[in-house]
Amino acid sequence: MVENVNPITPAEPTKLVLYVAGQTPKSVSAIENLERICAEHLPGRYRIEVVDLRKSPQLAREHNIIAIPTLVRELPTPIRKIIGDLSDSEKVLVHLKIGD
Amino acid sequence: MGQENPSLTAELRRRLEEAEETIRAIREGEIDALVIRNPASEEEVFTLEGGPEPFRAFMEAMDLGAAAFDAEGRMLYANSALGELLGLTADELLVRGVCSALDPVAASTVRTLIADGGKIKSSAEIVVGDGRHVQVSASPLRVGVTDAVAVTFTDITHRIRERAIQESERAALAILASANEAVIVCDLHGRITHANAAVDAISAENLVGKTFGTAVRLAVPGSTNPQPGAEIVALAIAGSPVQGIEAFAPDAPKCKDLLISAAPLRIGSDAISGCVVTMVDLSQRKRLEQQQLLLMGELDHRVKNTLALVLSIANRTANSEETVNGFQTAFSGRIQALAATHNILAECSWASVRVGEVLHQEVGPFISSGENRLRVSGPDVRILPRAAIALGLVLHELATNAVKYGALSSPAGIVAVRLTDDPASPYFSLEWRETDGPTVAEPSRFGFGQTVITRSLQYSVDGGAVLEYPAEGVRCIMRIPRADVVAA
Repeated sequence: MVENVNPITPAEPTKLVLYVAGQTPKSVSAIENLERICAEHLPGRYRIEVVDLRKSPQLAREHNIIAIPTLVRELPTPIRKIIGDLSDSEKVLVHLKIGD
Repeated sequence: MGQENPSLTAELRRRLEEAEETIRAIREGEIDALVIRNPASEEEVFTLEGGPEPFRAFMEAMDLGAAAFDAEGRMLYANSALGELLGLTADELLVRGVCSALDPVAASTVRTLIADGGKIKSSAEIVVGDGRHVQVSASPLRVGVTDAVAVTFTDITHRIRERAIQESERAALAILASANEAVIVCDLHGRITHANAAVDAISAENLVGKTFGTAVRLAVPGSTNPQPGAEIVALAIAGSPVQGIEAFAPDAPKCKDLLISAAPLRIGSDAISGCVVTMVDLSQRKRLEQQQLLLMGELDHRVKNTLALVLSIANRTANSEETVNGFQTAFSGRIQALAATHNILAECSWASVRVGEVLHQEVGPFISSGENRLRVSGPDVRILPRAAIALGLVLHELATNAVKYGALSSPAGIVAVRLTDDPASPYFSLEWRETDGPTVAEPSRFGFGQTVITRSLQYSVDGGAVLEYPAEGVRCIMRIPRADVVAA
């Protein structure tokens, strides 16, 4: 599979995984910020899975998560990571929409 | 080096970017937890220093409800004690929020506190669903790198109820302390638990802790019980109020005569928990009763004396006067003299009167006003009623004689009265001397008037009067017993 020949298509929903640690302030902010950005910019075309690493720390391995919160764009490929509380909407949008 | 694998290069570049992004995010405070691998190769979440974990552990350990809100008022965290206080589970609290469990007024109060809490510390009291009083305090808090508001919810229902109980207890004690009557409260065993200040007049000791029956020694007239106090208390504790028992407290420093009442003590609608004994001081009343008895005896004595005197005056006047008219004049004059002395004695409550006053009262009516025909000299003294009545009668007789035959029967005649008070003498003396009147001759016969003059003051060996008839005018020396002269 060659990454750069696979642009985002409208039919394919964006699948996002947000890694948080319980209810640390940054985790809570990241959840809220992400929901707001998706509702505004990707209405109906996204799926979010929130993974609480405080409950299941072993899940960090799948995406090699180090810092919390971290957002992983699983689909469309290639996988993208955005680290932080997602308070910079512009930056988040750039990362989510970039097809490389 | 051979030709690079482009996908490997891309992967490496991606990892480098990711590493740089992680470092940047840590440096700029965008993350607050890290995943680390422990020696057993297991992932663990490590919260960065300054993060909420120690704070959260601390909050969970607290009994009081606590929650943290971010600057926008979103709840970041709430401890389980808050859930219990508001009747919500931890999940319900997280999903629905604190205000869901409050009435609109309380919810509005809490929202205002949270909104202000980021800037200043503030607090307010709310009432939650089941009537409990909760003190809500909000203050600024910094969680990691975030500004937040810490809100605590303290159940102060107990404190408020305790305050109300203390207040009513204080009021009860104040009422007890302010009572004029001595009030003693006993427990079910008759042991004294409270005694107000008025009890000091009944016992010099501190009675609290002692048994009423033995601590307050009482004697009840007509009672054979050696400890009537114990009996009164026992009756009250058994539910029978005791009212108005007169008792004598031989050991009391001030109030020995008491009127005792006792009633069962019921707090609320509970069973009897003791009794309240009130003791009214009867000393004052007893004193008044005694004084009244004394006054009644005195009055009785005086009325009898006066009646005997009137009777005697009537008999003697009848014997010495030859006509009905003469009797009428002499008798009414003597009764009026008696009444005049009575008047001045009554004005001073039958205590004592001045000799000068008796003189003017008895002689004054026979002298026209403006005439200086009664001349009194010497020191005036106060004399007791017995002497005053006798002196009044004597002076009346002297004055009527002077008007009929002596100095007051002629326009120029004068009556001089000299008062002499020699402390060494057993009597106080008055010398009545008439001058400038008609020539006097000793009367051929002595009427009752003379008897009144010479005998009236003889009720004591030191009293009496001597009447002489020198030609220039009548002279009479009266002696008032020293015992009836009031010391100045």
